[in-house]
Amino acid sequence: MPLRTIVGACALAACVIAAPVAAAPFDESKYPPFAGQWFRIGPLQVFDATKPKGRGQEAPLTPEYQAIYEANLADQATGGFGDDPVYRCIPEGMPRAMTLVLPMEIVVTGNTTYLLMEYLSMIRRIYTDGRDFPTDQEPSWMGYSIGKWIDEDGDGRYDVLEVETRNLKNPRTFEPSGIPMHRDAQTVIKERLYLDKTNPDKLYDEITTYDHALTRPWTVVRAMRRGHNPMWIESICAEGNVHVKIGNETYMLNGDNLLMPVKKGQQPPDLSLFKQAK
Amino acid sequence: MRLQSLAIWASLVSVAAIGDARGHHSFAMFDTEHPIELTGTVKEFRFVNPHSILILQVKGANGEVTEWVLEGGAPAMLVRAGMTAKSLKVGDEIIIMVNPLHSGAPGGSYQPDRAKFKDGTPVAVPRE
Repeated sequence: MPLRTIVGACALAACVIAAPVAAAPFDESKYPPFAGQWFRIGPLQVFDATKPKGRGQEAPLTPEYQAIYEANLADQATGGFGDDPVYRCIPEGMPRAMTLVLPMEIVVTGNTTYLLMEYLSMIRRIYTDGRDFPTDQEPSWMGYSIGKWIDEDGDGRYDVLEVETRNLKNPRTFEPSGIPMHRDAQTVIKERLYLDKTNPDKLYDEITTYDHALTRPWTVVRAMRRGHNPMWIESICAEGNVHVKIGNETYMLNGDNLLMPVKKGQQPPDLSLFKQAK
Repeated sequence: MRLQSLAIWASLVSVAAIGDARGHHSFAMFDTEHPIELTGTVKEFRFVNPHSILILQVKGANGEVTEWVLEGGAPAMLVRAGMTAKSLKVGDEIIIMVNPLHSGAPGGSYQPDRAKFKDGTPVAVPRE
């Protein structure tokens, strides 16, 4: 074989090896009709929509984290925020984001399913292309999600999207009363998303949270209803937030952007770094 | 007309969940156990995220005017509850139920279904 031919064959082989694997064409008929707008079913301010808020959630906290939660409740009883970070426009993160304060859009593609949340413009990417968790990814509030489509009834169409989420970032709480998550941020969340068997306009998310603040995995099932005339409204939290944290205290801004106390007898912030006029 | 307005007002109060202002964060700073009714004049209505801000001038018994800062739902919640950036304009006189700050400072939270104009017409008109 002439040298030129050998070089050409090698170059062609290198091209074939280096080329990305072509994605299989996306066949929508194999996927359940998740796509569209979904609204929360149930009240705000709870993680488990079937139980009352606050202590009524019966979060299975370890004694150490139950004590942290009690401190949060005590602070909120006087007008504070406890450990709830969202008032500072920090995104809810996972799993709290799935309580859907505002509606969410689901977009299904062959390699990734996107959950686009109107509230705080949070985005989840659930990779369904067979990849593994990366080892060099920075943690994030929404975490890194890997999903797998399951055809449970064997009819040739997927029914369930199983998702595992890792690599999360703090601070996060389960809900606004401040049910805490462990400071180690080693949370793992497993979900099963599926449609109601008799009502394709109802979606369930079975969420199981594994967190060292808990004595056992905590499972809740969130239900959502489909929106038939989708309307989307921008939600940029930094636009007009009137809640301010200075030191360990929170204050509220009045109409002239001056600080107002939120607790009875609350002291003004420490101004010792300002040179006072004599 | 008056009776109709009252009926609309009552029905809106009964579906308070539609216009729930909470959600962004804990609303523990506001005293939900002791709501108060304010009658005042709109100085400013900021239709902004994460929560709308209504600044209301309220005249006290001694004639002194106090400026109240009221935090309500995000635009995304208000629009779905029937309230837009144009629902309130400077100078409008309204009656509104408010959960006041625990601190006693003139601030509080409001819900769109608990606000009405002086003639009883509700401020929020839920979308069909």
